[in-house]
Amino acid sequence: MSDLAKEKAARLLKKRGSLSSLGSHDVRTKEPAWKAKDSISTVSYIDEPGHHDDIPRPAMQMENTYQLGPTKRFPVLTVQDILKDVLASYLQEEKYEPELCRQMTKTISEVVKARVKDMMIPRYKVIVVISIGQLTDQNMRMGSRCLWDAASDTFSSHTFKNSSLFAVANVYGVYFE
Amino acid sequence: MEEYHSGDEVAFSPDEASNAVKECIEGVIGGVDYNQNNVNQWTARIVEHSLTQLVKQGKPFKYIVNCAVMQKSGAGLHTANSCYWDTTTDGSCTVRWENRTMYCVVGVFAVAIAL
Repeated sequence: MSDLAKEKAARLLKKRGSLSSLGSHDVRTKEPAWKAKDSISTVSYIDEPGHHDDIPRPAMQMENTYQLGPTKRFPVLTVQDILKDVLASYLQEEKYEPELCRQMTKTISEVVKARVKDMMIPRYKVIVVISIGQLTDQNMRMGSRCLWDAASDTFSSHTFKNSSLFAVANVYGVYFE
Repeated sequence: MEEYHSGDEVAFSPDEASNAVKECIEGVIGGVDYNQNNVNQWTARIVEHSLTQLVKQGKPFKYIVNCAVMQKSGAGLHTANSCYWDTTTDGSCTVRWENRTMYCVVGVFAVAIAL
């Protein structure tokens, strides 16, 4: 049993442990000459310095709630209003610039998460995904599939566009029994 | 009635998930060029295959799989995510893939179920 605990502690130390997990990924242009491999696959873990817990916490065991379902549902339309509001206020006048947008995605995702948390929806875990991209002649398709309990979990989504950039925001709410 | 994972809470393993997802992407858009007519199918297939592979791992998680396929045209793309969950049990991983004509970014979020 102690070996298992040590393994878990080692794993937790490697990963970020705080409540606020933040990550971002950029896709940049490559040189047109494409020689050796035809496809590249990279994996990146969400990691930002300064977000690590010093003490690895063991997983918490929760007591039974004896509830059959959530008392207050995830308010899809209210969250969508939050998304519209935040995206418009942060991006209305902005032009696409790599450094600015890199920072903007992280800021916007934190802001949206904070506002959804302020709504105090009990027992719901929240995942916010923001994508900001440059508008050129390219095509883009985004898809999302979720394996969850459709009776209690849901999502809310909004897209924003101005003359030089577009932004897609998804908020997923997952009920924790 | 037997409990599948009784007592022992398993944390999310990004490595296994990313390997499963990489294989799915290779399988669906491995050697092909960007084609607007097919993108719809591709994203749907990548996401569904990834989800099936993740479920086959048999862990007690709810999954959210997000996939974006973009044509290479010199434009930039930024993605960020922020999550409010239990960091001891929940986790996520992102896989970036590209070939000559397109980019594919797949994000997997796993939220633990209490058993």
